[in-house]
Amino acid sequence: MSAGSALADPSWPSPGRWRPAAPLWLLLPALVLLPLLALLPGLSHGGGWSLVGRFALAALRPSLDPLVLASVLRGLGVTVGLALLGWAVSLALGLALGVLSARVVWGGSRSGGGGAWPAELIRKLLALPRSIHELLWGLLLLQLVGLQPAVAVLAIAIPFAALVARVVSDQLDALPTGRLEALRAAGVAAPAALLTALGPPLLPQVLSYGGYRLECALRSATLLGVFGLGGLGTELRLTLQSLAFEELWTGLWALLAAMLLLERLVGWLRRRWTMPARFGLGSDTGSTGTDRANNGGPARGRSSDVGRRGRELLLAAALLLPVLVVVAWALQVDPGSLLRWQPLPPLPPADWAAVAALPWPTLVGNTLVLTLLAAALAVGTAPLLLLLVRPWPWGQGLVQVLWALGRLWPPPLIALLLLLVLRPGVVTGALALGLHNLGVLGRLLLESAEHSGETREQALLGAGCGPRLALLYGRFSGLARPYLAYGAYRADVILRESVVVGLVGATGLGSQLLEALSAFAYDQLAALMLVYAALTLLGEELSDRLRRRLLSS
Amino acid sequence: MPPASLLELEDIHVSGRGAPRLQGVSLRLRAGERVALLGPSGAGKSTLLAVANGLLVPDRGQVLWQGAPRARSGRARRRQQARIGTLWQDLRLIEELSVQQNLNAGRLGQWGWPRALLNLLLPLESGACAATLRRLDLDPALLDQPVAALSGGQRQRVALGRLLRQEPALLLADEPLASLDPRLAGELLGLLLEEGRAPRALLLSLHRPDLLSGFDRVVALRRGGVQFDLPVAAVEPGLLAELYAGAAA
Repeated sequence: MSAGSALADPSWPSPGRWRPAAPLWLLLPALVLLPLLALLPGLSHGGGWSLVGRFALAALRPSLDPLVLASVLRGLGVTVGLALLGWAVSLALGLALGVLSARVVWGGSRSGGGGAWPAELIRKLLALPRSIHELLWGLLLLQLVGLQPAVAVLAIAIPFAALVARVVSDQLDALPTGRLEALRAAGVAAPAALLTALGPPLLPQVLSYGGYRLECALRSATLLGVFGLGGLGTELRLTLQSLAFEELWTGLWALLAAMLLLERLVGWLRRRWTMPARFGLGSDTGSTGTDRANNGGPARGRSSDVGRRGRELLLAAALLLPVLVVVAWALQVDPGSLLRWQPLPPLPPADWAAVAALPWPTLVGNTLVLTLLAAALAVGTAPLLLLLVRPWPWGQGLVQVLWALGRLWPPPLIALLLLLVLRPGVVTGALALGLHNLGVLGRLLLESAEHSGETREQALLGAGCGPRLALLYGRFSGLARPYLAYGAYRADVILRESVVVGLVGATGLGSQLLEALSAFAYDQLAALMLVYAALTLLGEELSDRLRRRLLSS
Repeated sequence: MPPASLLELEDIHVSGRGAPRLQGVSLRLRAGERVALLGPSGAGKSTLLAVANGLLVPDRGQVLWQGAPRARSGRARRRQQARIGTLWQDLRLIEELSVQQNLNAGRLGQWGWPRALLNLLLPLESGACAATLRRLDLDPALLDQPVAALSGGQRQRVALGRLLRQEPALLLADEPLASLDPRLAGELLGLLLEEGRAPRALLLSLHRPDLLSGFDRVVALRRGGVQFDLPVAAVEPGLLAELYAGAAA
């Protein structure tokens, strides 16, 4: 045997070469589990385990009472309808704003400058709606116009439109401009040239992202319901708080079915219309490293497919419009109601001394700790779980169900459930957010792992390597960079989302915000929202940099 | 007494869409034998190699490794797999890792988790890895290079190096010469024939009847069955012409 032990090796190791390799990066975030596991016993308040047991058992025997079923279906219909409307509005608005905020549309260069100042201005203005979570928009609108179905629609549409706009403008500005310049040089008018040169390569990216946003909209609509804005979420919260677990599970299973159906549909359309997978958002790095020339034209479908996709898209859009009208009519969504503001209670004079006296460092610190904990938990646990269950054929199915439940559950509901056994606080909030996002990240990781590195894994298995190591070396090596890049994006989402677990208390800016909202303390609310928005934008910038660094090279 | 047989395939059947991929193939490989696997495209060469390295379980027939039936699962099977090494046409190197980590990937069948993880953190078994590179006429300074940075010929050798680090008793190679220029193909074939000598054995599929001289035996497949199995000296041009006749049909 030539393979001596590492320690017997004379050249072991030279200090300059201590550098973790790609697959290890994937496991490093899981180190956060160690302090979490150490903290948990101290956070447990002893009671409630029997309730958790009852809750788990109830999953197997959801209530089939016709009254419960009818109310669940009604609630689900409202949630899906609100999600669909909010999504459609955000997509239309986002596309328009995205085009307007692309530098290339104003004739500017990719790095800015030129005559592209309107693009820069719109971009800056869109930062605010983007940085505030849909829940906050919802609660603010609720105070302004009262409980209207249109509130939930607009609450989803405002931040989503700004997010779509950002993706659209980033994609547009990243496209090669050669084709556009050629058309313009040939005397083609600007709008036609833009549409012809940039439309086709942009379309698959927009469709792919749009599909993802629809999934997000369903989750958001459920979440808004938890805070009383209508739909199934309201019933989920009420049944959980009244410990009617059987009825709760009726709603959960129905929501799960709707969510999986939607995800399947989006995935099917993505494949049919040859859209890029979500994971490789803006990159082609999800592949095994085999070098494919990608000049920014992501759709490489056969030419016969292109015409088909166009026709099918038109048909889908034509079908969607009447559906939206019917849904809006059935849910009594009245856009006009948003203009009829209700009288606000008399506002006390602003007390800026009280605002300044808020424990800002603690609030910001807790928010950041919560975000980092939740992000590391979500990013680190997904690959770890996949590795754990790899040898067992049923294992993957089991984690898939758990992840589906995780992303289905709005984080505040997970938090409420955790409160049955844990004390409120940052860690409990982080666990709730982490588990929810684990469901989102895990699904993406699994989907990408299925499409990457298969032959390398096979080669390792063929050489006698165990299934877990073959997965780690064979598939995870290529996924490390795009997965962590996606994780960086997710951390940014989690920071924005941290407000939604505010209701478990002491979670930083989120809980303070919700408190200020319900106490009509507008001075505090304004200050908190500003700080929150600034923090979110800073986080977005950092996460962008990290992502670019991970995806370059 | 003839050398013990390493691998025996008995009456192997593998079904496929439409026509069977393998039907009634029997083959015995002894230590020290270097066998070329010939046949037109679609004859079943890759399927046969997949059955030989254990990644494909045949629908019918028996696979014996060193006289005993293949273990079905678990550690025993992995130990057997580790004794059979495959050089893939697409190499299947792990692009994100260094040359040394790729070479050591050949040891993963023997290593437990701690070493497998350590391999991702530190340069392990540098002496053995450097020796492997020297044996393949590569500069040991390449050890800490990412494989993505290597030339085509270097990558071929690193893939072979990973195979040698595995210390297999049987070398399998699925058309390793297909995408190489004549000089590289000649060099790689020379290395493979050298490494496939006793006590090892070599089973290599190729498309080049002109490169048979270094082999001991030729097994020819056609339409999923064995057309002939002869010592190299007995393979006449007529037989080859018959093997490839109407292959395009």
